[in-house]
Amino acid sequence: VCCRVSPLQKAQVTSLVKKGARKITLSIGDGANDVSMIQAAHVGVGISGLEGMQAVMASDFAIAQFRFLTDLLLVHGRWSYLRICKVVTYFFYKNLTFTLTQFWYTFQTGFSGQRFYDDWFQSLYNVIFTALPVIMVGLFDKDVSASLSKKYPELYKEGIRNTFFKWRVVATLAFFALYQSLIVYNFVIASSSISVDSSGKMFGIWDVSTMAFNCIVVTVNLRLLMMCDTITRWHHISVGGSILAWFVFILLYSGVYTPRGIYSVFYVLISTIYFYVILLLVPVVALFGDFLFQGVQRLFFPYDYQIVQEMHRHEPDGSSAGLLEIGNQLTPDEARSFAVAQLPGEKSKHTGFAFDSPGYESFFASQAGVLAPQKPWDVARRASMRSRAKTPRKN
Amino acid sequence: MDLGSTDGASESPSAAAKKHSKKPKYSKFTQQELPACKPILTHGWVITAFVSVGVIFIPIGLASLFASERVVEIVDRYDKDCVPSTYGNDTLAYIQSTQTNKTCIRSLTVPKQMKSPIYIYYQLDNFYQNHRRYVNSRSDEQLRSKAYEFDTDDCDPESNTDKGPIVPCGLIAWSLFNDTYGFSLQNKVLQVSKKGIAWKSDQKHKFGSDVYPKNFQSSGLIGGAKLNKSIPLSNQVDLIVWMRTAALPTFRKLYGKIEVDLEANQKITVVIQNNYNTYSFGGKKKLVLSTTSWFGGKNDFLGIAYLTVGGLSLFMAISFILLYVVKPRPLGDPSLLWNINPVGHSN
Repeated sequence: VCCRVSPLQKAQVTSLVKKGARKITLSIGDGANDVSMIQAAHVGVGISGLEGMQAVMASDFAIAQFRFLTDLLLVHGRWSYLRICKVVTYFFYKNLTFTLTQFWYTFQTGFSGQRFYDDWFQSLYNVIFTALPVIMVGLFDKDVSASLSKKYPELYKEGIRNTFFKWRVVATLAFFALYQSLIVYNFVIASSSISVDSSGKMFGIWDVSTMAFNCIVVTVNLRLLMMCDTITRWHHISVGGSILAWFVFILLYSGVYTPRGIYSVFYVLISTIYFYVILLLVPVVALFGDFLFQGVQRLFFPYDYQIVQEMHRHEPDGSSAGLLEIGNQLTPDEARSFAVAQLPGEKSKHTGFAFDSPGYESFFASQAGVLAPQKPWDVARRASMRSRAKTPRKN
Repeated sequence: MDLGSTDGASESPSAAAKKHSKKPKYSKFTQQELPACKPILTHGWVITAFVSVGVIFIPIGLASLFASERVVEIVDRYDKDCVPSTYGNDTLAYIQSTQTNKTCIRSLTVPKQMKSPIYIYYQLDNFYQNHRRYVNSRSDEQLRSKAYEFDTDDCDPESNTDKGPIVPCGLIAWSLFNDTYGFSLQNKVLQVSKKGIAWKSDQKHKFGSDVYPKNFQSSGLIGGAKLNKSIPLSNQVDLIVWMRTAALPTFRKLYGKIEVDLEANQKITVVIQNNYNTYSFGGKKKLVLSTTSWFGGKNDFLGIAYLTVGGLSLFMAISFILLYVVKPRPLGDPSLLWNINPVGHSN
């Protein structure tokens, strides 16, 4: 515990922990004297309000009250970590799957470098066909609700231990990307090597590659749904929308003649039963491995957050209950402190939330209609002040 | 990051003067309070999923396999045997000379009854129609319309002669397959129909009816078949089939069809004109006769794939049921929380 420290010393203490103990440090402060400490730490949190905006301007995160720190760390910080891990690993996975199918094809082209997919497929893959769903995951995914995050602060340890982005996690995902690319590539190639139509006609390279790409888009989007802990309406819209966008695109692109394009390839494809049979088979087989892995992991080696989810699975989705609702679920003490904190404060370095001034509190609290019983030393102090000025003065 | 800054900092508690509130407009989207379903993968769900996959896939697999089993296919490799023994190992000299007799007579036995239409394919092995430079060596505009006759940029080296542009230009057209097959059964000729062997969309839209072959196979190396100058490209079905480049180095292309039934054990005599040179690159040529089902040719792959996946799925379902009975993990068991050294989760 440090007291009567100067701003420089605050920064030095922070650096000591940062470099000496080699931990991630977070510092929180509300005044101009906290600025150097905030900047010295890994994560600086500034409290806006009574002491001015100095701390806020120097900080990485700004909050309005000290108690919001629990939410910042346990709820939003944790969700942020989870979301970033999911988004980044998913990005690696979807591009790996897509690119590996092309890679397997190079073996069959005499290593001449013939592309497996049409140019437009490759360009639009990351832009239209698989972009939006992962953004939705990054915005909305929650493993447990906000109130549960605060009820079980030990869940925060997952971030500290880097549970969701360890090499093992990434390697598992890479392995499944490899497996899926092999399935998609080989199933489509092996099944189209003879005629797939009762009229005996054969497919060409663009028919086969469009079929493979179709399977990839569907598989990769469905895989995202398997990765979510929370599925909102926007997830359905974005996944369905991406797949729909693919169909709309290919129907248009195939319907309009472009030189070096794939005119009418898709219409040829959808006129065969083969298309629907493969569209059912390949994504299911490709996701079979992932599903099995998730089932085994969840049922036999569960993560802590999964147990928490199950323990509270029957609770109603009070999604608004967890985040701080000012005034609704505060204890009387908290309500009182809060009412006082809203008051215009004296512009002094020695005021501020951290320095709760008792006499000041009970006077203005009564103005706000909040019960704030007077503390004994206040009564004594005011009694002793009565002979002097009428205005309440600082001790 | 501004966290939950509600109630503007200067709002008077007695609401005497309504000051400007900085509270952002509430919406479920921005406050991350969207209603959501939170799926939990329980034993029940896993087992249900595997059982449904098994139940759906196995019948489809059986149907595909039955369809494939009913297809009758004859495959005959003829490129090795069709070089007369006098040439021995000098196959290249044989195939490249214009003087040699390229006629070759083969005999095929029908293994089971084949119902018409019976499709005739030629299969090439080790022929890379998917080589990058080969695939690019064509001019789609030129094939489509007479107006683009001079559009031969990508077709080098088969783009122009001194007499003008080559139509159709490019290596794909230049290497057109030119073996021919004639079939007879007990001295009666079996008609080979060339109708409907190319995809309709190709014939109607990709190959123009006003484009006629010009300067084709006229100079230097001859790579394959010659084209009849008086037939427009939209009716040159062999060319159309050939130009739909195959995806793999081993591929089949439709040659024609026979519209009579063939009975089991009948002997078909095939007269082959062995013109095409696959000898210089170690390729193989095969003649394939095949019937088709609603599902295409003889490919057991899909049927077997469906059955395997369905079977595996049911096996997984049974394993999970057994594991559930033997070693269940109660849902939401708090004693599993904060396990310092759980299996697979060590720090």
